[in-house]
Amino acid sequence: MNRRGFLELAGASVAGSALLSQTLQPLFAASTPPPHAVWVENGEPAALLSAALKEMGGVSRFISRGDVVVVKPNIGWDRAPQYAANTNPDLVAAVVRECLNAGAKTVKVFDRTCNNPLRCYSNSQIEQKAKEAGADVSQIRENRFVDKAINGEIIKQWPIYKDFLEADKTINLPIAKHHSLGRLTLGMKNLMGVMGGGRGDLHNDFQRKIIDIDRTILPTLTIIDAYRILTANGPVGGNLAHVKQPRTLIMSQCVVSADYLALDLFGLKVEEVNLVGEALKRGMNTFDVKSLNVKRVRLA
Amino acid sequence: MENLRRGVQIIFFVLSVLLFLAARYPYSGAVEADILLRISPLIPLFHFIQEFSLSWVFWPALIVLAATPFLGRFFCGWICPLGTTIDAASKAVKSPSNRISGTWEKLRYLKFALLVACIILALFSVHVWGYLDPLSIFNRALTVIFYPLGTLAVDQTLLAATKVPVIETPVFFLYDLFKGNVMPELQAHPAQVFWIALFVGAILGAEKLSRRFWCRNICPAGAWLGFLSQFRMFERIVGDACPICNKCQTECKMNAIPGGDVKHTSKVECIDCFSCGAVCPPKVKAITYRWRWKPYHTPVDITRRQLVRTTAWSALALGLLSIGLKNRDAKNKQIRPPGSLPEDQFADKCIRCQECVRICASNGGCLQPDSIQSTALDLWLPVAMMRDGYCEYNCNLCGQVCPTDAIVPLTLEEKQHMPIGLAHFDKNLCIPYAQNSDCIVCEEHCPTPDKAIKFDLKETTLRDGSKRMVKYPFVIRELCIGCGICENKCPLPGHAGVFVTTENQRRVGMPTLETQTPESLPYG
Repeated sequence: MNRRGFLELAGASVAGSALLSQTLQPLFAASTPPPHAVWVENGEPAALLSAALKEMGGVSRFISRGDVVVVKPNIGWDRAPQYAANTNPDLVAAVVRECLNAGAKTVKVFDRTCNNPLRCYSNSQIEQKAKEAGADVSQIRENRFVDKAINGEIIKQWPIYKDFLEADKTINLPIAKHHSLGRLTLGMKNLMGVMGGGRGDLHNDFQRKIIDIDRTILPTLTIIDAYRILTANGPVGGNLAHVKQPRTLIMSQCVVSADYLALDLFGLKVEEVNLVGEALKRGMNTFDVKSLNVKRVRLA
Repeated sequence: MENLRRGVQIIFFVLSVLLFLAARYPYSGAVEADILLRISPLIPLFHFIQEFSLSWVFWPALIVLAATPFLGRFFCGWICPLGTTIDAASKAVKSPSNRISGTWEKLRYLKFALLVACIILALFSVHVWGYLDPLSIFNRALTVIFYPLGTLAVDQTLLAATKVPVIETPVFFLYDLFKGNVMPELQAHPAQVFWIALFVGAILGAEKLSRRFWCRNICPAGAWLGFLSQFRMFERIVGDACPICNKCQTECKMNAIPGGDVKHTSKVECIDCFSCGAVCPPKVKAITYRWRWKPYHTPVDITRRQLVRTTAWSALALGLLSIGLKNRDAKNKQIRPPGSLPEDQFADKCIRCQECVRICASNGGCLQPDSIQSTALDLWLPVAMMRDGYCEYNCNLCGQVCPTDAIVPLTLEEKQHMPIGLAHFDKNLCIPYAQNSDCIVCEEHCPTPDKAIKFDLKETTLRDGSKRMVKYPFVIRELCIGCGICENKCPLPGHAGVFVTTENQRRVGMPTLETQTPESLPYG
C-alpha cells in the first residue's frame, strides 16, 4: 500500500467509526434505560462496585461536581472485617474513591456505633481505609443531632445527624446480616446510624417506627455489601462459622427494592422479614418490586 | 541545682501525665503506662510483707530505694508528681514561711505513726497503705477529677465556640485535633468524685497551713524514705561565713533545718530540693553540698510513747476493719474487672490508683471507684457498674496496666472465657415479660460467639383477648461472661430488666467448679 492509500483508508476509518458511534450511542441508550437495581456477584469489593455503577449508568448519575456526600456504612461493632459485622472496609474505600472521582467536594463517613466508637472505627478498618481513600471520617458528636419533624404514624419528631441532613447526596452502605428482631438487618435498618435519641426506644413497634423515620431521610443510593454476610448470631456475630461469602453487591436508588432483593441472599421470603413487608405495605418503595428491572451480572 | 531540680520535677510530672494519657485504647504496651506507678517506694515494702520476696517488676521503686540511704529523700523533692503538684498548690495559695507554720512541727511523727500502722495492719493482711500512696493519689486525682474536668472544660468551651459562625471551621479543626490526639474519650462521669476531690483538695489545701504539709506530716512513703535516709551521705555543709540570717531555715520546704541550729539538717525530713542554697544571700553563699563518708545521724521523729499509742490504735483499727458487715446483697453487686485475684487478695494488692478505671474502654462508665459497701476497705476498689458502662468484649486492657497485678493480665481469649458475673432477667421489668411486646435489645448486643441470651418465641394472650407472638429472652448460664452490655443497653429508663451479679464469676488462681470448654476459634 502506498502512502496516499494508507492515509485515505485511515481517514475514512476514523470518520466512519466516529460516525458509527455517534449513531449507535443514542440507539444503545434508548434501548437500555438504567435498571431499577443491579445485582453483581463473584468479585472483589471494588470490582463489584465499579461493575454495578457501570450498569447503573455511571457514578455521575448520582454524584455531581462539588457535592457534599455522606457515605453511611455500618461501623456498629468492635469486630474485624472477616466477622461480617461491619461493612467491608474495601468497599467503603471504593465508594469514597468513586465519589471523589466524580467530583464530590467532600465525602463524609460516620456511624453511631453500638460498641465503643474508637474501637469500632479502628477494628472495622473503615476509619483507616476510608481516610486513605480521601474521606473525612469523624466520630459522632452528640451536639450535631437536630430534631427533625417526622410526622409518621408513631414518631412525630426525632433527632437526626445534621451532616446527613445537610449533605447534597447520601449513600447508604449497609452489610447484609442476620438480626433476631427483624430477622435481617439491611438498608432500612442501617439508617438507624444517623438517628440520635434513645435507640432502645425504637425497638418496640420497631418496623413502624423505623419506617416513619426512614421515609423522611431516604438516601440517594443504597449499596448493600454482601461480599460477606452474617447468617446467624447477628447483628454482632463473632463466629466465623456463621459468615458466608456470596461476594455480591446490590445497588438501587430505592432502599426498599435493594432490601427486597437482598432477601435472596438468605433464601428468605418477604413475609418472613417484617421490615421489608411493612415498607412495601406502606408504599415506601420507589419501584414496584413485582416488576423490578434487575440487571444481574456475574463477574468472571 | 535548684533549677535543675525544678526541671527534673517538671519532666517527671509531664511524664506521669503523658503515661496517664497513654493509658488508653489502642494500647500496645510498648511503653508500660503503669511504669511510674511502680516507682512508688511503698510497693516493694508491702509486697515484701505479703510475699516475703522482692519482685523485679517494681524495679523503678527498687532503684529509688537503693539510692535513698545515700541521697536521702530525693524522690520526694525531685520525682514524686504529687509533690510537684503540692509545690504548685503552695505557690497558688501562698504558703506561710516556717516562722508561722513551724507550729505544725509536732505533727511530724504522724507520718511515721501512719507507716507503722500500715505495716502492722499489713502483717495481719489488711492493706490500707494504698489509699495514702502518693503515686496512687496522683493517678486517682487525674482519673477521677482532673481528666474528666479537663474534658468537660475543653469540650464545652470549644463546642460553645463553634456556635459563633465566623470561627466555626477553625474551632472545629481545633476540636478535632484535641479530640483526636489528647482527649478522644467521651465525657467520663466517675463515681466517688466528691470524696476523692475532698481528699485531694485537703492535701493541696493544706498548703495554706505550711509548705509540703502532706509530705512533712502524713505521707507514709515520705516516712519510709526518711527512715532509710537517717545516715545519708550527701550532706548540706554550712560554712563559717554563715551570718545566721535564718533565711534557709524559714524558707525550707520541709522545715528540715532546726530553728536555732541552721548548721544542721534533719536528714529524715530533707528532700534535696536545694532551695537553701538558692536562698542563701549571694554575698555569703555559705551553703555547699558534698559527700561525707562518715555521715552524722538524724533520728526518726517518733517517740516510744507515740509508737506504743500507734500500735494500740492499729490494733483497734484492725479489729474494726474485721467486724464489718457481711452483706451478701452488696457482695453480689461488686463485680470486679476480668482477671482480678480472689476478693481478699484483690483488696490486699489493689492500691486504689484507678489506672484500670482510667483505661477502661467505657471511660468512667463500667469500672468505677467503689463506695463503702460492707467494709471500709471496699472504698475505691474498682467495681463494674454495668448500667453506666459495660465490659467491652474485645478489650483486656485493665489487667495490662495494673501496677501490682491485683488484676492479672489476660490474653484476649482468656478474658473472653473468664466470666466476671452472670446476667439475670427481672421479669417484672423486662419489656417482653412485663409488657408483652418485643424488644430483644439485650440479645442483639450479646457479644459471645454463641449468644448467651436467647429467646423463646411464644404466643401470648393480651388483656383484650387478642393473641400475639412475643420473643421472651433468657440467659444461658454456661455462655454468659457477665460483660453487662445487656444491662447497659436495656432501653428501660431506670432499673434495667436484665442485670449482672457476681454469681458464676471466676477469679484468677481460684479452682473452677465448672469446667468451661474454650472454643478453638480466636474471636475478633
